[in-house]
Amino acid sequence: MSNSESVKVAKGQLLDVVRGRLRIGEFSWVWLATIGLFAASALLAPGSVTIGSLASMLPFAGILAIVAVGQTLVIQQRGLDMSSAGMVSLAGTIAASVGVLTNSIIIAVVAALIAAVVLGIVNGILTSKIGISPLVATLATNAVLIGGVRSTTGNAPISVPESLQAIAHARVAGVPSNILLAVMVVAIAWIVMHKTTIGRRFVAVGINPSAAASAGISLLTYQIGTYVAAALCFAVGGLLLAGFIGSASHTAGNDYLMPAIAAVVVGGTPFTGGRGSVIASAVAALFMTQLSQLVLALGASSAVQLLVQATAILMATALRNLPALLSRLPAVAMVFRGASAAPKCVASNPG
Amino acid sequence: MPDLTVAENLLLGVTPDRVRPDVSLSSWTTELLESWRTDLKIAPNDRVAELNSEQRFIVEILRALAAEPKVLVLDEPTEHLGPDDVSRLFARIRSLTAAGCAVIYISHRIHEVLSIADRVTVLRDGQSQGTHDAHKLTEQQIVEAIVGRELNREFPRKASHLEHSEIALQVYGYHGKGFTNIGMAVRRGEIVGLAGIDGNGQREFIRALAGLSRAGGSVFINGRPVDTALFGCAAKIGIRYVPGDRHRDGIFGELSVRENVSIRRLSDVSIGRLLVSNGLDTNLARRAVDDFSVKTPSIETPIRLLSGGNQQKVVLSSVLGSSPAVVLIDEPTQGVDVGARMEIYKTLRATAADGIPMIVVSSDAAEIAGLCDRVLIFSRGHIVRELNGEDVTEHNITSSMLTSTSIRHHAKVGASELWKWAAGNWAPIAILCTVIALLGTYAAINNPFYLSERNMIGMLSLVATLSFVAFGQQLLMLVGGIDLSVGPLMGLMLVIQSFYLVDGASMEHQILGWLISFVVAAGVGLTNWLLVVPMRLHPMVATLATFMILQASALILRPVAGGLISEGVTELIMTTWGAVPIGIALAAAMAVGLEISLFRSRWGVSLRGFGSRPEAARLAGVQPGKTLLFAYIGCSIFAAIAAIPMLAQVGSGDPTAGVGYTLASIAAVVIGGASLSGGRGSFLGALLGALLITQVNVVTTFLNLDDAWQSYLLGMMILASVALYSKSRQMAVAV
Repeated sequence: MSNSESVKVAKGQLLDVVRGRLRIGEFSWVWLATIGLFAASALLAPGSVTIGSLASMLPFAGILAIVAVGQTLVIQQRGLDMSSAGMVSLAGTIAASVGVLTNSIIIAVVAALIAAVVLGIVNGILTSKIGISPLVATLATNAVLIGGVRSTTGNAPISVPESLQAIAHARVAGVPSNILLAVMVVAIAWIVMHKTTIGRRFVAVGINPSAAASAGISLLTYQIGTYVAAALCFAVGGLLLAGFIGSASHTAGNDYLMPAIAAVVVGGTPFTGGRGSVIASAVAALFMTQLSQLVLALGASSAVQLLVQATAILMATALRNLPALLSRLPAVAMVFRGASAAPKCVASNPG
Repeated sequence: MPDLTVAENLLLGVTPDRVRPDVSLSSWTTELLESWRTDLKIAPNDRVAELNSEQRFIVEILRALAAEPKVLVLDEPTEHLGPDDVSRLFARIRSLTAAGCAVIYISHRIHEVLSIADRVTVLRDGQSQGTHDAHKLTEQQIVEAIVGRELNREFPRKASHLEHSEIALQVYGYHGKGFTNIGMAVRRGEIVGLAGIDGNGQREFIRALAGLSRAGGSVFINGRPVDTALFGCAAKIGIRYVPGDRHRDGIFGELSVRENVSIRRLSDVSIGRLLVSNGLDTNLARRAVDDFSVKTPSIETPIRLLSGGNQQKVVLSSVLGSSPAVVLIDEPTQGVDVGARMEIYKTLRATAADGIPMIVVSSDAAEIAGLCDRVLIFSRGHIVRELNGEDVTEHNITSSMLTSTSIRHHAKVGASELWKWAAGNWAPIAILCTVIALLGTYAAINNPFYLSERNMIGMLSLVATLSFVAFGQQLLMLVGGIDLSVGPLMGLMLVIQSFYLVDGASMEHQILGWLISFVVAAGVGLTNWLLVVPMRLHPMVATLATFMILQASALILRPVAGGLISEGVTELIMTTWGAVPIGIALAAAMAVGLEISLFRSRWGVSLRGFGSRPEAARLAGVQPGKTLLFAYIGCSIFAAIAAIPMLAQVGSGDPTAGVGYTLASIAAVVIGGASLSGGRGSFLGALLGALLITQVNVVTTFLNLDDAWQSYLLGMMILASVALYSKSRQMAVAV
């Protein structure tokens, strides 16, 4: 067998392997990766999968999952919500300040949720009615939210009421309440998306807004509703975070902006809108959190942690594109020369 | 390329040597435009987005003609042209062919093909059905070649005795954008056709009826008054719409046939209008596929994989099955092969016979004549004639359309001058200058130290840093990209320099430092490009990953800030002329230079053209891969340049010093008037945006405002500017 032939065969095999794996489905990858990650953790750093370390990791994974669910909804509508950082911080701050002021945790939580609804409506109107691109609009509302948090807290962390802390640390049948809430949020989002007429219309609006309008779907309702639902997720995440760490500050939300977007990406929801999976995003949140734990347990610095997370993102996205890329290798050169666009390759298995 | 002017679009259509240097671009353009028709009312500096579709088509055709082509391919060139312009086009084609140019003319309009072509090739299912001399072919023969079998051109029998059936839809004094004072009624079982030259209001009228645009007047369905203006309400009361542009408005390409069928009939497949039942859903789709004989591998096949005719059948089944009170159909058979056409006509007639009234808009007079019981002719937004019974013939329709449009004026859109100005290139710059001057004056009055040399130097050096990185971001945003990695890249640059530009380092060592940092920057740009273009990652995702990698690299090289930059270097960077640091002077000079080349050079026009509409720019000869590569590498290089003034401001290798510049650079260009989707932007605007952001931060401290105000003001500045720009650009766009 000549050299070039064997290269060809090898390339063919590689293609088959990659394609074969892809039949798993675009949102199932992250399950495999997560199982693999926990297996690797057990082998490489058994300390990172003990009951104790899981119990300390899971609540943060739960919060990240809730925020990631919100971000998934927006990204499915071709949007992006940069105000998640501000909303997570603001929810905690409201809980702390209103909670202390009224001495009622219920009023505090309701106030935070109302703030989320208002933010969602503002974001929704800015992006759909006024037509500002989501990145810019939510960047701006985020700045305003952070301003609000800074004036309330005076740039220093403030502590949240005991009762909220108690809720965030509570266990129901041995399961931390954060996890329980995360599972609930994901379950509700999944049922609404997959089993109801609301979900059907939501997906249709994400895939083709103008066709949805022609089909008689009220675009504005769904576009604004998306940002409201997302802001509510961010608020719940923010409340749990503030309760769990016991304080609220204007920087608290920063750790839930990029990581949540990263979780959505790793989960497999594309930025091009339409299809998406809240479950995959939630599992990806667990994956990313455990990945950090593993890297830390192996004694690496936070810098290496970043590097590993970036690799995870690239793997998750590049692997999906690899079959298409390999099958049009000759076309890549054409892209550069500006010749006719490469033929669209239907490689991924919608399912 | 909608964001470019008419002149720029024409310029990109020709090779550089076609434009004589002694003729100005605008007079060259005017000459070209007048060669078509002297009453075009298109000015060379009109933005193409502000033209109507007919004018856009003329510009596009002129662009092709201006290149004096040897081979010219025209694909459905007459779709948006009035008959007068069609004959002008044909005259131009004849003079081109007389001069030796070969023309390939692709069209569905057989009579036009017969009148212009020398030879005709019919393609069916991607295979040639033979090439013949045009004068030897009849229309019927061509149709047979397209269909592949003897075709029954008979339309289904029309309805009779309609005068006894009740009125389903009645409209009085209906008016909106593009049509005025429309009054009409449709009886149950009746198909009413709306005919007219394209753009005379018939299409806008049914879109308004479908609730897709605002309109006033009264509408009655089965005698009850209804309000179509309420969004989504038209569909609820049973007014159903089949859009003309199927790909844009009709189908959900990624969704399955099943989902496309049920999306308009969710109440039929759900329990309590909320919970979707899988069984009902599947049954409905199966029935639709059987009833309409849709050819699809399965009901789970994504609809985009189906042929045009089958897609249209799915949309029709979805609409007709939703038990509508009235159906509005725009171009029932656009992009549908002749065989499927006849099936669609039969289905429409059968549905009408069941008592469902229909309004059909079509630009094909034969179709209207064959399908409709009654025809209303639209002209300039009015109904000018009604044809009934025996009078509904292709000849009558065409002649009424032509005679009534003899006085048609080629209207220019009436966006107000203020909106047009605000949508222009100079508005952001003028507004920003005013705001900056006002804010500066206010600060100077309240705190005299604001104007001091020291404060100015401090502030302007920060502006220099931000504006360089904003130039990079702007360059990329012009072609529709975005780079989140610029901030950490600046930090990494700082870290690298902190190993080389230290006290006691030799000249070679220092030069090596500069070399390495710029090579790294170019490498980062290349990496981003590789991820986005060949690997097809979303720019946000790709540069988020490089963001993390760069941040990690900087932190690995220097876990904490360290490595004092030598004073010789910082002093050189901090050179000032009076209160003006050298950095900001260079940034300003660069902004002016880049701005001029962006609007005056072919390079700049290509860049904006590509950002505005990549496909159109590619046809005009702009190479997408190279253009994007240039923009990505350019963006990273600008970030590296921005790190130079920062070197002096920070003074040591701080790995996290740059992070904030990612969002700040985006904010600066957006405030400067850039559009995130590409095509619109300005380097001067980016400079002024950077100046305003820095100024606000400085002023808040000078006025002893709470830190929170920096955030408030930044947020509000972004919102105010972007809301103004996007609103004005919407207002200035033609309908």
